[in-house]
Amino acid sequence: MADQLQSMIELKDIIVRFGDFEALHNINVDVKQGEFFTFLGPSGCGKTTTLRTITGFIEPAGGTVSVNGRDITHVPIEKRNIGIVFQSYALFPTMTVYDNIAFGLKIQKNSKAEIDRKVRDIARKVDLSDEQLAKAVSQLSGGQQQRVAIARALVTGPAIICMDEPLSNLDAKLRVQLRNELKKMQRDFGITTIYVTHDQEEALTLSDRIAVFNKGYIEQIGTPNEVYNHSATEFVCNFIGDINRLEDEIVTKMGLDQTKNHFMRLERIRVNRKPQEGETPFQGIIESREYYGLYIKYYIRTAGQIIKVIERNDGINMYEPGEEVKICFHPDNLMSYPKQ
Amino acid sequence: MDASLIWKVFGIAFFVYLFFGFMLLPCLNTLTSIFTVKDPTTGMVDPLAVIRFFFAGKMPTFVLNSLKLAVSLVVTVNIVGISIVLLTEYFDIKGAKILRLGYMTTLIYSGVALVTGYLFLYDSDGIMTSWLSKIFPDMNKNWFTGFNAVLFTMTFACTSNHALFFRNAIRAIDYNTVEAARNMGAKPFQVLFKVVFPTLIPTLFSLTVMTFITGLCAMSAPTLLGYDSINPEIVRLAGSSVADESFPQARAALLSIILALFTIGLLTVLSSYERKGHYLSVSKTKAKLQKQKISNPVANVLAHIYAYVLFIIYMTPVVMIVLFAFQNYPSLRSKSLDMNGWTLINFFGAKDFEFMTNRGKYRTRPGAISGLFANADTVGGIRLSFVLSALAAALACVIVVVAVNYIFKNKGKKRSTALEYSLLFPWLLPTILICYSYRTYFNSNDVWYVLGQNLYMRENVRFLIVMAYTVVKLPFALRMVKAAFYAIDEELEEAARNLGASQLVTFLRVKLPIVLPSVLAVFALNFNALFTEYDMSATFQSSYGKTYAMVIQNMCHDEGRDGYNVNASGRRCASTVFIMLVSGLILYLVYGVGARDLGERLERRTKRKKRIQRLMNRLHLSREKAALQE
Repeated sequence: MADQLQSMIELKDIIVRFGDFEALHNINVDVKQGEFFTFLGPSGCGKTTTLRTITGFIEPAGGTVSVNGRDITHVPIEKRNIGIVFQSYALFPTMTVYDNIAFGLKIQKNSKAEIDRKVRDIARKVDLSDEQLAKAVSQLSGGQQQRVAIARALVTGPAIICMDEPLSNLDAKLRVQLRNELKKMQRDFGITTIYVTHDQEEALTLSDRIAVFNKGYIEQIGTPNEVYNHSATEFVCNFIGDINRLEDEIVTKMGLDQTKNHFMRLERIRVNRKPQEGETPFQGIIESREYYGLYIKYYIRTAGQIIKVIERNDGINMYEPGEEVKICFHPDNLMSYPKQ
Repeated sequence: MDASLIWKVFGIAFFVYLFFGFMLLPCLNTLTSIFTVKDPTTGMVDPLAVIRFFFAGKMPTFVLNSLKLAVSLVVTVNIVGISIVLLTEYFDIKGAKILRLGYMTTLIYSGVALVTGYLFLYDSDGIMTSWLSKIFPDMNKNWFTGFNAVLFTMTFACTSNHALFFRNAIRAIDYNTVEAARNMGAKPFQVLFKVVFPTLIPTLFSLTVMTFITGLCAMSAPTLLGYDSINPEIVRLAGSSVADESFPQARAALLSIILALFTIGLLTVLSSYERKGHYLSVSKTKAKLQKQKISNPVANVLAHIYAYVLFIIYMTPVVMIVLFAFQNYPSLRSKSLDMNGWTLINFFGAKDFEFMTNRGKYRTRPGAISGLFANADTVGGIRLSFVLSALAAALACVIVVVAVNYIFKNKGKKRSTALEYSLLFPWLLPTILICYSYRTYFNSNDVWYVLGQNLYMRENVRFLIVMAYTVVKLPFALRMVKAAFYAIDEELEEAARNLGASQLVTFLRVKLPIVLPSVLAVFALNFNALFTEYDMSATFQSSYGKTYAMVIQNMCHDEGRDGYNVNASGRRCASTVFIMLVSGLILYLVYGVGARDLGERLERRTKRKKRIQRLMNRLHLSREKAALQE
């Protein structure tokens, strides 16, 4: 689907250096109009640096940044028309919520009436009341502050909005709630969004496409399903979700290619089920288990290694540590990469 | 040339001018003047003449006296300072809130005002001395003079830093560490010495060094109470002439350089100690300190007695001065309170004084009896101090805000480090060295960069005082404003730029409002200190630079002249009350109002509105009721 849409942001061979250190090596990204695009990776991988290059806080040593086909690599920050929501929200503490949202409009020299109309309009859309508008930002909760940051970034009508780990300062429950709201808002506004996170669950649930970063390179760009089920590199399959690496004994028994490393997702392994065609069963003993409520994670000792398995907590099958079980999985679900 | 380049060149020129013109060159001149004295007999330059004179004469006495005072003060101020904080913050003492107010009175009056206050009580005809001599008729009425008097006065005057910084350090202790120690079986005093004190050592070390320097550089107490220490001697020598004694100026220079060497040495020790790092609390969730009960009943009673004796020592001068400021002349003269003798004459009184001459005729000296605000000299002093302090405090703030903004923008670059160190430079120099250097260096028509003007002449000296005030206050202002700039999240600046604001707009509308409360606080605190400052204007000794503190010192002199001048005495009490009011108001504005953030201010505004609304409603109701009844 992404290929049919018009290209919005294009990063071509971006190189960023900090002194002698090269933080980004030849980054190429093509974000389509209206897309929710996520930069995912561990800390220090270059995702925020890429985002800051798009917004103009960092000038690349090489390559170009284009928006709608126009080269903006050397356009000043304030003239790019790209909104940003910071990790810390960066709300101005000396201004009220209203003044925070109105700041960009005032800089653009909108009329008073226009500013008032736009501020109230956006506030309604992000669910901020008139009463909250009159408050100081310090009087709002974390979630409300986040809405103010989004409203402030959106009110000037930017073509693109960038979000740098905007949910990382919130508690777990609020994070999930706001994640859904964020997605809904993006859909309603139809705005092209670039989202930076190190949380793979957040990336999978929110994104249309994901770019997985590692040490200043992009390892893979793809839809959540592609990235999760068809990880392009060993790094991606290890970074996203939990996974089992198969040791030599299983590899030999299954007759797999010994020159490669083979990986198997936890939920693709079945316990005490009848093996289907092509599946090799393995006898094992439950070593321990972790109870998560929605599911249970078992650590099963088999063929000289521990295999992790997830079973739905359906109340029918529950295995005790020490219990003998039989596991099986299909080779089609394996992800294999050449040994380095 | 574009505008930003012009600003840059102008800025660099300004800071170079300030550093070389008003810090380095005058002080270097003082240093070289020691080695360029001429032998009066041969007329040849004798570089070591002053040094030889120093060791041959009684000059080492002044240095030793200052050292003796400094060492003694370290002991006494630490004992009293630590006591007052422990008694109000750590131990559970009844009435701690009142005690704290008493112990903190030194924050609102210090320097000359405080010393003259003590004199009012303990001088040979002071209230307390008169009272004590009634009980002990054999006592020496002149006991309050020299070393003992200086030590006594300064011990209680110099605990302000303890009251602020040691208190903060104690309040920052994680109470969980105290509980953990108790849980493992430690007794209260073991907890204090083994767990609490070790975390406070860095603060105590800094306080000790600061106290030592204060003792070494003491000015108002030794001058007024008669103790031969370095600073009063420098001032005396600076005003002396070659006709009276051998090379007085060079000797003054030597003494001020000795003082500077001590200060530099101590501050080097302090900063190398600070660089080693502090004991940082590692806990993520600090528990608030809870007051410790002294379980031993005898110790508890003794602690209470000690606390209240200290309280009485702190409060007596304040209470007495406030009371006597509102007493009429007869009770001031007899130093006894008269419940029917309340008056405002010491503040606003203006009367002519009628007296009989030797020839038996009556004469009138118009306006001879005048209160604080009716006395031309005093009002002049207040006005001069007000203008000079406000100018200097504002100038220091502007210089520092511009500099710190630059330093933060060019972090890690050599030029920003150079700028920072140049502004911290006056910290290394004793105030008296700076003022003495200004006085001698600018007292000539040869300084080209001030257009050959003699800045010590006539009214020019006021400019010199403003410069001295500003330069002396730069290091403090820099440290405070820099701390405030650290509070600006870098992302705030980026957010503003992202929303389209230029660098100037970002500075004016985002960064400045954030640091403004701190900048105003620095302004207020500097103003407060300068408004009643004595050391600097005493060093300048110019009739065109008679600041408020100098006027107060003169009142003190006047009191002893022609018998007893009760008018000056009353005015001095009123002056102290006035100073306490001004300082109190400033501290309230800084720590009370200024510390509130936007949220608190808005909350207060809403509450106020509601209160007014309620009041209006009530009024409205009662009016309606009245109308109904009619």
